[in-house]
Amino acid sequence: MIRKPLLAAGLAGLLAFTAACAGGEDSGDKDGQTTLTYLVFETPSLTAKFWDESIAAAVAETPGVTIEKIVAPSTDRDAYAKQLQQSGQFPDLLQSITPSNFAGAGLLKAYDKAWIDANFLLPSANTLKGEVYIPPTNSQIVPQVYYRKSLFAKAGVAAAPKNWAEFLAACDRLKAAGITPIELGGADPFAAGMPLVGIVSADILGKNPNWLQDRYAGKVSFSDPDMVTAVGKYRTLVAGGYFDKGALGVKYADSITRFTGGKSAMYPMGSWFLGSVPKENAGDFGSFPWPTDDGSVVVPFVGGGSMAISAKAESTKLAEDFGRAWSLNPANLKALIETDGAFPMIKGKALDDYQVTVSQVFKDSYAYVTEENNKVSAIAWATNDDALPPGVNDAFYAAGQALFTGDDVAGELKKLDEAWTTATR
Amino acid sequence: MRTTRHTDRGLTLAAGLAIGLYLVFLVLPLLLSLRSSLTNENPLRGTSDFIGLRNYTELAGDERLRASVTFTLVLAAGVTVAANALGVGFALLLNRTSLSYRVMRTLAFLPQVLSGVIVAFVWQTVLTQNGLLNNVLVRVGLLDEPFPWLGSPNAALISIGVVVTWVLSGFTTVVYLAALQNIPLELHDMASIDGVRGTQRFRKVTWPMIAPGTTISVTISLITVLKLYDIIAVLTGGGPAESTQSTALYIVKLAFTSDRVGYASAAAMILLALSALIALTVTGFLRRREVTL
Repeated sequence: MIRKPLLAAGLAGLLAFTAACAGGEDSGDKDGQTTLTYLVFETPSLTAKFWDESIAAAVAETPGVTIEKIVAPSTDRDAYAKQLQQSGQFPDLLQSITPSNFAGAGLLKAYDKAWIDANFLLPSANTLKGEVYIPPTNSQIVPQVYYRKSLFAKAGVAAAPKNWAEFLAACDRLKAAGITPIELGGADPFAAGMPLVGIVSADILGKNPNWLQDRYAGKVSFSDPDMVTAVGKYRTLVAGGYFDKGALGVKYADSITRFTGGKSAMYPMGSWFLGSVPKENAGDFGSFPWPTDDGSVVVPFVGGGSMAISAKAESTKLAEDFGRAWSLNPANLKALIETDGAFPMIKGKALDDYQVTVSQVFKDSYAYVTEENNKVSAIAWATNDDALPPGVNDAFYAAGQALFTGDDVAGELKKLDEAWTTATR
Repeated sequence: MRTTRHTDRGLTLAAGLAIGLYLVFLVLPLLLSLRSSLTNENPLRGTSDFIGLRNYTELAGDERLRASVTFTLVLAAGVTVAANALGVGFALLLNRTSLSYRVMRTLAFLPQVLSGVIVAFVWQTVLTQNGLLNNVLVRVGLLDEPFPWLGSPNAALISIGVVVTWVLSGFTTVVYLAALQNIPLELHDMASIDGVRGTQRFRKVTWPMIAPGTTISVTISLITVLKLYDIIAVLTGGGPAESTQSTALYIVKLAFTSDRVGYASAAAMILLALSALIALTVTGFLRRREVTL
């Protein structure tokens, strides 16, 4: 027989234990300070030191705020933010998340539009249903094709390809010279999908910039003949033997060192690669846009940016003040430009104003952002209205891996349509 | 009398705590997950609607779930056989009492002590295209060019199998060692007198006598692989092209990438039922075998 006092003591112990487990949610005022949680992520470029210094600088400009840094366990901060939300710990500030994943559920607070318009070159770069949840402090091209001039010269390729036919010809020449034409970090799905992002962005969105909105409206599909033809180009590259045969076993980090180490001649990657160009031989690197059939320039563009604000933050005003201070701090942009290849998008500031040391290939790449040209959303990377529904990014990247080992283009595209239907149901 | 009452109280308290912890950390989450599986719960929304068995009917036609279950079952079967065969082999080799053997036993158990994430990161440096294994094989001339150990579906399956087998073999070795040490020496003496030696002695004496150990080792190996997440998440992320996506990994992606917690909970219920069915069947079979032997 269990005695009541003992049972009560046991239950009290359990309650105390569970209460202890649930502790740590208190982010209330301490000495007039409001504590805000800030989800960040660390990479070889964006180190703990970078975050600590940038937070300290923004805190200094935001009286009354104390920041509690939360570091995502991987670069997939969207998934981690969802886990935190599920466990009732949604951060007050979230760095570089995909707003479309959260705004629909009312979890984010939009920034003041007047402030966005006043401070950024492309105020609408991150616009989601008319609101801006992440200040468009910088931008990226995803992907550009980076190449090694010395390897091109060795293979007798006179200049960077200007269209698809020249691109294939360059691949043939490089292969014939015993050089792997294209680097692919295929073990990481996002990197494996990079050529597919280039092809679809250039060939499909380049011709119809509203393609993704049309897909949401059900006017087009991945199974359409033009998409099948475009994606078939990826199979052409695989079948031509232009990638390393074992590319699906190459990690993203290794793909960078292989390319910078001269093991391959071209590397389709997001412009953050510019932060990895070795200073000692930066002059050997060049870039060109993903080639189209007719040679027209299409720039797959992504409005990058800083942090989103939780609508449930204890003080959304202080959170926005902190977000503004962080976003406009030139020191943060300087670090992002030099280490992460970010293209600055703050109004009234030229590249030189950040006192950065960048390579010629960075300047050449940045020119595609500042020039008038056909900028389209980079499929699977856009964070604005053209963002893919939840889970479809993964399916898109998986298709990139699947088409490396199989040639069922129509089958893979059908799977994408099915994933889209499931995600938008 | 007084001591007995004190002992009773202590036992009751300990049992109460154990039952309480079991209820809070196992039964309650299970019930919450079951409830979630009957809803359209989304991690981003505070509310969810009851949708009956719709998640389960959708799962019946889910090809990605089917692929993940097939992969998980193939891996579980292969790893269980390999890890237990290795466990028996290592246990026979290490069943001595000298200090050097005790040290080797500790080393054999080491993989089991390490975190799955750390193990996977270490093996990743071995198995990637530029990894240690390819470097060695190419340098000694056994390969002309690096082999994609993690870059093709079949090779990745085998690579994961090897890593998980390596981890589990520490556990199986210890279980079989304990089983071997429980065999009465008299039995071996009698077998010697009867002229039973070598493989025959293993078949007739050792193997039957370690049957209880086999039951524990096989069952736990199977359950470990059926719920495997960490090693695969780090080593391949389920790739290439989702070919090494375990059911546990698929469930997590459904919940936190596709925002379908309710559907993921239904998949988790299916995995739970499948694991329970397999574990009960295998345990039942092995227990009957113990009696027969």
